[in-house]
Amino acid sequence: MIIKEELKRPWWNKRRKDNLKKGIIHLVLIITSFIFVFPFLWMLFTALKTPQELLMGSDSFFPKNPMWSNFSTAVKSIPFLLYLKNSIVIVSLVMLGTIFSATLSAYAFAKLKWRGRDKWFIVLLATLMIPLQIILIPSYIMYAQIGWLGTILPMVVPAFFGGGAAFYIFMLRQFFMNIPKDLSESALIDGANHFQIFWHIMLPLTKPAIVTVALFVFMATWNDYFGPLIFLTDPEKWTLALGLRSFQTQFGGRYDLMMAASILIMLPTLIIFFSAQKTFIEGISFTGIKG
Amino acid sequence: MKKIFTLIVNVILIFILVACTNGEDSGKIKINFWHMSPVGSPSYSPMRRIINNYNNSQDKVLVTGTGFSFWDYWDKIGIAISSKTTPSLGLSTIDDVEARASGKVLFNLTELIDNDTSDNNIDLDEFRDSQLEFATYNDNLYAMPFSATARALYYNLDIIEEKGFSEEDLPTTWSELKTFAKNFDEVDSQGRITRIGFDPTYGNATYHGWLWQTGLDFFDEDKNPTLNTPKHAEVLDWIKDFNSEFSRNQLKTFGEGNELLGINPFASERVVMIVDDDGLNQKIVDANASFNYGVTTIPIPDEDGVNVNWGSGFSIEMYDNGKRNEEHKLAAFDFLKYLMSKEVQIELAIANGWLMSHISAMEEYTEDKPILKALLKEVDNARDKIYIPYAPSWHGNDWQPFYNAFLDGEKTAVKTLEDARAYYLRKKSNYEATH
Amino acid sequence: MAKKTTLTSLKKQEGIMGYLFASPWILGIILFGAFPFLASLYISFTSYDMIQAPRFIGFANYRILFTNDDIFWLSLGNTLYHVLIAVPLGMVVGILLALLLNNKVKGMSIYRTLFYLPNVVSIVALSLLWLWLFQPSFGIINEVLSPIYKLFKLEPLGWYSDKSLSKFTLILMGLWTSGGSMIIYLAQMQDIPTSLYESAEIDGAGFLKKTIYITLPLMTPSIFFNFIMGLIGGFQVFTLAYIVTNGGPGRSTYYYAYYLYDQMMTDRNMGMASAMAWILLVIILVITLFALKLNKYVVYLGEEN
Repeated sequence: MIIKEELKRPWWNKRRKDNLKKGIIHLVLIITSFIFVFPFLWMLFTALKTPQELLMGSDSFFPKNPMWSNFSTAVKSIPFLLYLKNSIVIVSLVMLGTIFSATLSAYAFAKLKWRGRDKWFIVLLATLMIPLQIILIPSYIMYAQIGWLGTILPMVVPAFFGGGAAFYIFMLRQFFMNIPKDLSESALIDGANHFQIFWHIMLPLTKPAIVTVALFVFMATWNDYFGPLIFLTDPEKWTLALGLRSFQTQFGGRYDLMMAASILIMLPTLIIFFSAQKTFIEGISFTGIKG
Repeated sequence: MKKIFTLIVNVILIFILVACTNGEDSGKIKINFWHMSPVGSPSYSPMRRIINNYNNSQDKVLVTGTGFSFWDYWDKIGIAISSKTTPSLGLSTIDDVEARASGKVLFNLTELIDNDTSDNNIDLDEFRDSQLEFATYNDNLYAMPFSATARALYYNLDIIEEKGFSEEDLPTTWSELKTFAKNFDEVDSQGRITRIGFDPTYGNATYHGWLWQTGLDFFDEDKNPTLNTPKHAEVLDWIKDFNSEFSRNQLKTFGEGNELLGINPFASERVVMIVDDDGLNQKIVDANASFNYGVTTIPIPDEDGVNVNWGSGFSIEMYDNGKRNEEHKLAAFDFLKYLMSKEVQIELAIANGWLMSHISAMEEYTEDKPILKALLKEVDNARDKIYIPYAPSWHGNDWQPFYNAFLDGEKTAVKTLEDARAYYLRKKSNYEATH
Repeated sequence: MAKKTTLTSLKKQEGIMGYLFASPWILGIILFGAFPFLASLYISFTSYDMIQAPRFIGFANYRILFTNDDIFWLSLGNTLYHVLIAVPLGMVVGILLALLLNNKVKGMSIYRTLFYLPNVVSIVALSLLWLWLFQPSFGIINEVLSPIYKLFKLEPLGWYSDKSLSKFTLILMGLWTSGGSMIIYLAQMQDIPTSLYESAEIDGAGFLKKTIYITLPLMTPSIFFNFIMGLIGGFQVFTLAYIVTNGGPGRSTYYYAYYLYDQMMTDRNMGMASAMAWILLVIILVITLFALKLNKYVVYLGEEN
């Protein structure tokens, strides 16, 4: 009887259905990810070509003789270590300053009621709506007047005051707003002040979001060449992103070296992204409670 | 005791010496010079050497050079001018010196040259009038021409000889150019172009470049747009019909297929003749080309043709940011004289791969370099585009949409010119309303 | 009585605290932001060639833009087209990608990194690549589509060289960087309590029903955030057109921000460029304020549990 029942069971059972689903998902994922990976592969191949291949064209996507030496040449052509040091210094300071000012401001916008709060929020959004180029000259003149030109101050100090952080403040605000009122209200009744609530409740619950902000700020500052170009007159203080521009000359330049250097400069971001995934994927959520 | 005493005295002496040297150093006038050879570029070390040579040759002036990549340089100098934080000397473009001179941000060089009694003063005879004219404003010189480019006809000697021709057969007129170029067109079995003899839109050829050869231009002496004669339209039609046996799509594909990813159509031997500037030569040299090529004058119209090509150049300027004293000005001028001298002009040419402006310096420099020599000859016929305050990019941003629409067959030549002219006139009236 | 005083003093304290917490940012706005921001407004009423000092000319710049400048309207139209299509499309793609990656499939971290890769790669490299891929005659995309072209007897699409397709082509290229919004959606979705899905499954809900009734509603905060940021960014679209199409063909991808850039950098007309910037700011601000009002009706926040 049991054997007969077994034979009667349909081929299309649940386990097979699940496996098929998984298979389709994998297939779709692989095809889609290939589309997304393609630009990077192309960059890699360009980095491995010779200038002749690039200028004369070789009708092929793949380099004939991969020039892995391009990577070391790229590193030797510019003061790589010096620029690396400068990049690290500036990026760390900006990350610190942004997280400091962004978390504080986001909390104020999300959890506290103060006069003019909503109007200031509109000002916050408005700062995102004006192109950088338009305010560049007045900013530059301002920094020239207070004597900050040639130093890294114009790039670093505004971060501690929420400069360039409107996006993150808005984002963090959404996070804070999702944390239930009861948590802070009960803490208040227990006699805690807002700093304690901020430090002991808000920040820990949104740590993943803060890690996300840190990653985004890292990426933006690490790759920013325009800020250093304008504000850092002394080449000794140049960053990697700016040093990369030297590969581009009037006559086209060494695209092969430029791609090689770009890939090297891209690596830290990729590594940080990959390893920080667990934290911030869980983090960029707007519901602070689980299950 | 004596030993300690001697030691202390020695240490103090050393300190005094060091302080003195520093003092000597700080006695020097410090000027800075912005150029386009940043750290990491091929021309960085040679430029640094040129500057160091100057510093070591005298002890009154100390020059610091800072290089920015060509593409970023213009942002840098622009913002410096706006904020009055300009360097003592810097490069710029020669065709719009007028804008900066009238804006009073440049020092008057005629004054400095006239008042200079030294024997290394700038020799104005060594610089072409065609360039000095552009650097002149209200009869005074406000910049020196630094580099001088020209456009010429590059030709692939190997392919030409393959087909049984020689350099003597090279065309000199427009109709000769057309017949000669047709010898080299090649198509594959599917009808796609694999090689083209010549096209008037490839390389660095421009409509105004061809137009100038007929004696016409975009604007008249009063800076009003012309573009309203039949000849203007004829030139446009000539450009479009040159390769009329192919469709515009085919030509664009062939052109683009080459330009993408930095592949140069001439260097990849897909185009046999092309109009380009001295930069192409540098590109080919940098990439170790393996074919024989040459350079000659661009063919001119069959009748009433004028031998002229579009050449531009960088200028070198002394910036007045309102805070310079006389001493500083003279120091910067001294460095300028150095840069404008024959020997240094040759060094600069070698360093940057440019043709510099100093006539006899370049004659000497190109003596043993046939291609550069031929290019240099074309500089004598080069002319820069005039500066139109109400349309600084009249040949670029303003003109390209009209030109491309015409080439794509959307409008006739006459209509295109009419619309373009109306556009410039409107820009002019808007400009006048706000100035 | 004692309780009442505590509440009012708490409220007062909150008012002061609010300012205290926001003070770094407010100070930043006043110290570093106010001058450049307001200077640019002033400059919009002047004639400024960035060499000599600005000269006051009143509303002339604005008047010219509105009444004597075809390209102003053309570029504004191009930008509006972009916003109307790119913003919804970008949101849909981001959500779809997130739905795709929200499955318990092996190697999820690798896939996520791969999908995020284009956001890390330099935009110049990406643009060159797209020029190559979308090339009408020999680009891979048309090669792959050629059987379809043959089947329907169509001419191969011109993509970025076709006036009527160019804007859409640029939008497609922009979708490559959907990884950014996708990550935000993903995170949101990871946090939806699985118990909700389980009880839905017991009630016999399939994938589609689960998505529509559970996933999407609980994702509204991030959808809304991406919508607002998408709007603000969409109106400032520029970079791709600058690198890939130069605003062409026939000014079909000549966006508002591109025209603004040309006014400033090419025509040296900073006054006009500033006027354009402030007009754009007003437009974006009005639309954003309107969208913010929708916030109440559209977004489900954990707070309102």
